[in-house]
Amino acid sequence: MEQNSTKERLDGRVTATNGEQNGTSRRLTDEEFDRYSRQMIVPEMGKEAQLRLINSKVLFIGAGGLGCPAAQYVAGAGVGTIGIIDSDVVEPSNLHRQVGHATSRIGMKKVDSLITHLRDLNPLPTYVPYTFPLSPENAADIISQYDLILDCTDNPATRYLISDVCVLLCKPLVSAASIQKSGQLIVLNCPPTPQGKLDKKYPPCYRCCFRKPPPANTQLSCGEAGIMGPVVGLMGVAQAGEAVKILASGLHLPSSTPETPEDDPHNLIQPTLLIYSYDLNAAPGPFTFRALKMAPRKKNCFACGENSPQTLTLEGIRSGNPNYVQFCGIQTAKTTLPIEERMTALAYHVVKQTGILPNHILLDTREKEHFSFGSIDGAVNFPFGKLLMKAATIKRDGGDAEEILPVKSAEDPIFVVCRRGLDSQEAVEKLRELGLDHGGKRKIVDIIGGMKAWKEEVDPSFPFI
Amino acid sequence: MTTPNAPPGHFTILYFAAATSFTAKNVESLPAPLSLRKLFDVLEERYEGIKESVLDHSLVTINLAYVDIPEEGEEDVLIEEGDEIAIIPPVSSG
Repeated sequence: MEQNSTKERLDGRVTATNGEQNGTSRRLTDEEFDRYSRQMIVPEMGKEAQLRLINSKVLFIGAGGLGCPAAQYVAGAGVGTIGIIDSDVVEPSNLHRQVGHATSRIGMKKVDSLITHLRDLNPLPTYVPYTFPLSPENAADIISQYDLILDCTDNPATRYLISDVCVLLCKPLVSAASIQKSGQLIVLNCPPTPQGKLDKKYPPCYRCCFRKPPPANTQLSCGEAGIMGPVVGLMGVAQAGEAVKILASGLHLPSSTPETPEDDPHNLIQPTLLIYSYDLNAAPGPFTFRALKMAPRKKNCFACGENSPQTLTLEGIRSGNPNYVQFCGIQTAKTTLPIEERMTALAYHVVKQTGILPNHILLDTREKEHFSFGSIDGAVNFPFGKLLMKAATIKRDGGDAEEILPVKSAEDPIFVVCRRGLDSQEAVEKLRELGLDHGGKRKIVDIIGGMKAWKEEVDPSFPFI
Repeated sequence: MTTPNAPPGHFTILYFAAATSFTAKNVESLPAPLSLRKLFDVLEERYEGIKESVLDHSLVTINLAYVDIPEEGEEDVLIEEGDEIAIIPPVSSG
């Protein structure tokens, strides 16, 4: 790790509180002057704001779809120290959205790849690489060295960890997230306010907005659900916009806001959640941007509320309390079917090839987009979501369960395959609940491991996504 | 920013992210008025399982402003004709 001025590291609050002391009154170098001139002449920017940027330290947690575009603009704007933490390496599937990487850097650590790109863009900042994951053990040590944190991560456990540590260390947090065709952005804990302070309205933390994570089996990653490049790019750029605004105006500095937040004209006391959604079907879609007024810090918040100093401490986090992984759940199969209702992909292939397998229905419960790239011969697409909805309708309104099947053949056994073998098990259960197994006379069988297993066991050329 | 107006006697409900996937809808109209406390039950009736999978950890807004779902003993809020409700689940990836 590159070392910066130890004094500034030890006390980030000193930054920009006193122009003489840390250089908000110094002259800009010729290079800085040339490089930042276009943004410095924007109303309300000027030299002081530029020097505040130069004297600031920003941490990007995640060097992916959000971190890449965000870091580009923050580096371009001249923020003096840029830390980036991520343990992943660049893969081809990243490049449609992770614009800080390159085809020539596939296989390189994302942090090193992004810093290569940023140095080319602006060599003046100090770049600090962390090529390991953020963890409860190291989070406070790293976060404490920065003025502002950008959450560009991809999982709920890390999101809660980052927010909690930011509350405890009084750091403002710009949080964004994106999946498929929608994105979210919110500035949290800004201006930074000590934990447990509730005498007035104060800004919320992540837990104030999202008290608990979604159940583990409904949490989707970009790898599973997909992501449109411009959607996540836009959210990352918006994050950079907020970061530059906060730093240029000094909102990240607790000591520079002596007024109470309510009296301070610069306060962000109306926290806003920006929602962007992008409809691939509707040309100028009606639901594009929405700015939602969020509530202030919550009295009963676990991390920043009334009793939070008793429930959440840095020492606690370091020693595993709260347990973030457990809190966010571990993804497990919701149902595990008995073995007689399951068959490996290879076994299915063999019995089909040898003609032992009688006429049957093969349902493929992947989304139609996945199905469009290829499927097992004879498979009929029946997306899982549709199946659940149809099953719920039958349960509620009654009707002939046989009707929900995309192919009609009341006697033939049903095989179900999905992407990785989780949804298919649930689908088998649902179909049985609807009585489609005719009290056990008709077999309904799950293909173990889904199309992933099919690729591994039967057809290596299968285009698995 | 325009949303199709709800027909008379209805409010508009918008679904985002996982709520869109679960309902297979971006928007629909539901009969107004409706007590905010009953909103989740009404949705559960239409979309079995949505409470546990989506609603319990989502945030809810009325006319672009965050609202807490009133708990027992807390004052209820009435969703009126023409209101716009949004169901916003957290998104984690990036």
